[in-house]
Amino acid sequence: MTLQYGQVLRYLPDFLIGAAISLVIALVAFALGLLIGLVGASVMTYGPRMARWGVRAYVSFFTNTPQLVQIFFLFFALPEFGILLSPVQAVLIGMTLNAGAYLTEIQRAGFQSLPQAEIDAAETLGFTRVQTVRHVIAPHIIKALYPSLSNQYIIMTLGTSMAAIFGVEELTARALNANAISFRSIEIFSLTALIYIGLTIIASAILYTFGRLAFRVKARAF
Amino acid sequence: MTAIQQFLAEAPRFYTYWNMVFLGQAALNTILVSLIGCLIGYLIGFVVATLRLAAIMPVAPVRGLLITLVEAIRRIPFLVLLMCVFFGFQLSGANQSLFVIAVTAVALRMSALAAENIRAGYEAVHQRQWEAAAALNIPPIQALFRIILPQAWRIILPPSTIHTVSMIKETSLVSQIGFLELTFAARALNQRGFSALICFGTILVAYFVISWSFAQVGRRLERKLVHEARGVRREAGPR
Repeated sequence: MTLQYGQVLRYLPDFLIGAAISLVIALVAFALGLLIGLVGASVMTYGPRMARWGVRAYVSFFTNTPQLVQIFFLFFALPEFGILLSPVQAVLIGMTLNAGAYLTEIQRAGFQSLPQAEIDAAETLGFTRVQTVRHVIAPHIIKALYPSLSNQYIIMTLGTSMAAIFGVEELTARALNANAISFRSIEIFSLTALIYIGLTIIASAILYTFGRLAFRVKARAF
Repeated sequence: MTAIQQFLAEAPRFYTYWNMVFLGQAALNTILVSLIGCLIGYLIGFVVATLRLAAIMPVAPVRGLLITLVEAIRRIPFLVLLMCVFFGFQLSGANQSLFVIAVTAVALRMSALAAENIRAGYEAVHQRQWEAAAALNIPPIQALFRIILPQAWRIILPPSTIHTVSMIKETSLVSQIGFLELTFAARALNQRGFSALICFGTILVAYFVISWSFAQVGRRLERKLVHEARGVRREAGPR
């Protein structure tokens, strides 16, 4: 048996559309997860004790169970309560909740890396609260967090492949479909792998350049 | 209330002896695949990371190839890697069991993660230690095992725990090739007419217990080896 990439290359445009869908899913879930994480991390750092416990339970549940099973749960169990989710909705909600847990942990670490002395210093200089956040807290936290956040984004881009199992037409789903039609398995999946590699390398490069230009962070992403 | 009522109504029918045997077998398979796969993965990762050390590796192209492979495997989703391994076995004509395929995929992924992790551990040890060992006429292999590794080990351990736990969770994707593990068992029971709430709820708890206990083992080891080795008292350590 010989490898025949010629037959498989006609799926390439289709795969690239799938890759774009993967990127969009990752981006939406990441942005929403970032918000959840911001709230969660604030509660964990500054909130009352009961709320802290709640957030900790949320984080440890979502970080200790597989994302796939979480989405299965949403997709199959919620209809039993009359909440019907489309595959895209189930995947997006599942990925967002999962990402929210990881991003809570990441941002909590960032919050805790802020030395109290810096806030005291800002107060001594007579900064208002807004000024303190704008000039002292935000730059510090962004610098501390940027590398882990960009890593998390790339991990999530890879995680979107799970959506294929629920019938969302992203890259892996298109690969599985093409495989079912043509049986050129190795060619199709190696092509898919190459697209994912290219996707994440480009994303890493963009994130690295953006971090260096915007926040002067010099850390290699992923 | 309906969720609890539904759960209570279905529980006696679900938690029967044979269902528990089925789920137990599945849980065992999940643990076996992740453990064996991770162990093999760590071994390969250790060899690859060691070969990447410039002091030992004389052949530049081989080093480049290893780096490329590690980077590539880290940058493709586990599901795609699994499909590559699955169809690769089919193509090679070797009629392997699903267990072997699953373990191979886990080992491949783990080896790439471990290679990266162990390399970072090596690099975190001060490079002058190699020179000091060379100055004392200690051969490189001995220097690696007796000087570098004992120090690198403490740096490698915490991320290894994270990688192992995330690998255990990623084995849920192995259900896609039809291998009987927890996720597959839950789907099978769900298709046999049990509600998704009880099926997936049960295995969520099972996964939680498995990965949480692995994380605890890692945390214990870390506390014992890392902090005591550094002379930090237990109470003073992080967390």
